[in-house]
Amino acid sequence: MIHPLILISVFIVCTVLGYFIIRNVPSLLHTPLMSGMNALSGVTIVGAIGATGLAFLSGSGPLAQIVGGLAIALAAVNVFGGFGVTHRMLMMFNKKKK
Amino acid sequence: MSAIQIIISAVLAVLVLAGISMMSKVKTAVAGNLLSALAMLCGVVATLLFTGVVSVWTVYVAILIGALVGSLMATRVQMIQMPQTVALFNGLGGGASALVGILSALGIGFSEAQAHEIVLHGYGPFVQFTALLAVAVGMVTLVGSLVAAGKLHRILPQKPVVWKCHSLCTLLFLVLTLGFVITGIFVSGAAMTVCLVGTLVAASLFGLWFSVRVGGADMPITISLLNSLSGVAGSIAGMAISDVFLVAVGGIVGASGLLLTQIMCRAMNRKLMSILVGGTAKPAPKQPQTPVKENEELVKRAMDLEKKIKELEAMVADLEARVQTLHGQLAGAAQAQPAAQEEKPTAAGVLSKAKDVIIVPGYGMALAQAQHQVRQLADKLESRGVRVRYAIHPVAGRMPGHMNVLLAEADVDYEKLYEMEAINDDFKKVDAVVVIGANDVLNPAAREAVGTPIYGMPVLNVDEAPEVIVCNYDLKPGYAGVENPIYTREKGVYLELGDAKETLMRLISGIA
Repeated sequence: MIHPLILISVFIVCTVLGYFIIRNVPSLLHTPLMSGMNALSGVTIVGAIGATGLAFLSGSGPLAQIVGGLAIALAAVNVFGGFGVTHRMLMMFNKKKK
Repeated sequence: MSAIQIIISAVLAVLVLAGISMMSKVKTAVAGNLLSALAMLCGVVATLLFTGVVSVWTVYVAILIGALVGSLMATRVQMIQMPQTVALFNGLGGGASALVGILSALGIGFSEAQAHEIVLHGYGPFVQFTALLAVAVGMVTLVGSLVAAGKLHRILPQKPVVWKCHSLCTLLFLVLTLGFVITGIFVSGAAMTVCLVGTLVAASLFGLWFSVRVGGADMPITISLLNSLSGVAGSIAGMAISDVFLVAVGGIVGASGLLLTQIMCRAMNRKLMSILVGGTAKPAPKQPQTPVKENEELVKRAMDLEKKIKELEAMVADLEARVQTLHGQLAGAAQAQPAAQEEKPTAAGVLSKAKDVIIVPGYGMALAQAQHQVRQLADKLESRGVRVRYAIHPVAGRMPGHMNVLLAEADVDYEKLYEMEAINDDFKKVDAVVVIGANDVLNPAAREAVGTPIYGMPVLNVDEAPEVIVCNYDLKPGYAGVENPIYTREKGVYLELGDAKETLMRLISGIA
């Protein structure tokens, strides 16, 4: 386990970094940006996989597998759907440029 | 978590940031998106390896199901449904974070070594607190997003719904949620389960209460905010299970959503708090109430307004009659008669002479799905050597950048899309402005009508243009409920009411 203070500092640093990088995105691309961010928010799949897997290995019973499996599936929908939709949108912006 | 793991997490987080910064230019945006996706994939693989759960089959089954559903939705969904799709995906992410929070709150999903360390270092309270907080934020995101998606998909009423003691209940649920989360720090065992269930229920209710009150035009703000919350939920869940990558990426998403929220709020002249707690924009306060004692000018203005409404009604009736007679003429005279002869100063006539035109799209264009017709109109004008530009108000539509995506779908070159600040001074220089399904974003009343919801909101200076062609469905005030004085302007306004697709086709064929 990592010390809570480190985790909180990581959160703060990333928030600030993200804020300044995202400020450069023009409003033209705000929808793709938002949907890309949306896909990224599915990153929680990482946590879901870890928790579900460890629960399985330690034999926590079927409830954990159902809850964890649901978490993984929902996050996967978020990730695949989000990146897919973003990609489609961005391709639309680009097709004129040929 | 070993040092190698932390380093890998940091590298991946930097990759994600690089991907996002590439999304600030159209040329590199596609690659940026793919880079972020790649970083995510690496994150998943790294998790599988480092936590030693490669052999667990249930994980793959769940991923496969989610991947199938997600990919299917991503390829099938229409561009017009984008706002609700984004909202829905967002909610699912929040829900997943809440579920992770539930597992950690129950002490499930930690390896033996981790469980040992939690006890050894006394991290228990921190884990419990973050787990419950993840549940709370995740559930608010899930429920809020589902309601928002339902509203955008028109399953739920678009209007703000206000229940009995709405503000009080909202506040109560928020306080209850926080109460359960904080209590969760100090308890264990059965009491912890009570806190967990309490958090779950109270947060869901809070999500429902706050989102059901948000009306259509505040959706861009709400979606951005929920987007931010889903990131924060992930990040907090990451703290609970001690995963640096999750904390980092969640934080980035949270920041981006917050930034977008801020931009939207500024563009609408709304305070975030007033949308969350104080209720959504109410229709303009009925003028006659206030003025009697204090301000005679207000009375006058109210009377003017009433007069204008009367005029408007007369105009609508007149227009309807005109359309009727036109229809009659068309039907009666078959093709033989050139029907357009008698109405000389028409919208089509104005466009036929114009050399410089600005198009102002709004949510109405999205509703009528008229973006292709808009493009055809622009093409026709451009083929005649007219300069055509598009003026995009930051909150036009139902999500940030909504108009840009729709116009991109119709193959409009993004270099012709101008932000409000870039084009606002040019309205007075152009020959004509074509408004398609937009109202509040160009309402000059925002500059003068003190006390109305749109007062102070930056608007497009459409009123400065010599000729304005309005292709709106009707002349009803927009979401903010404030009459638009452009419609009743004496000169240089052409109202083409009805379905934007049809009115645009009529315009296009009318341009000689």
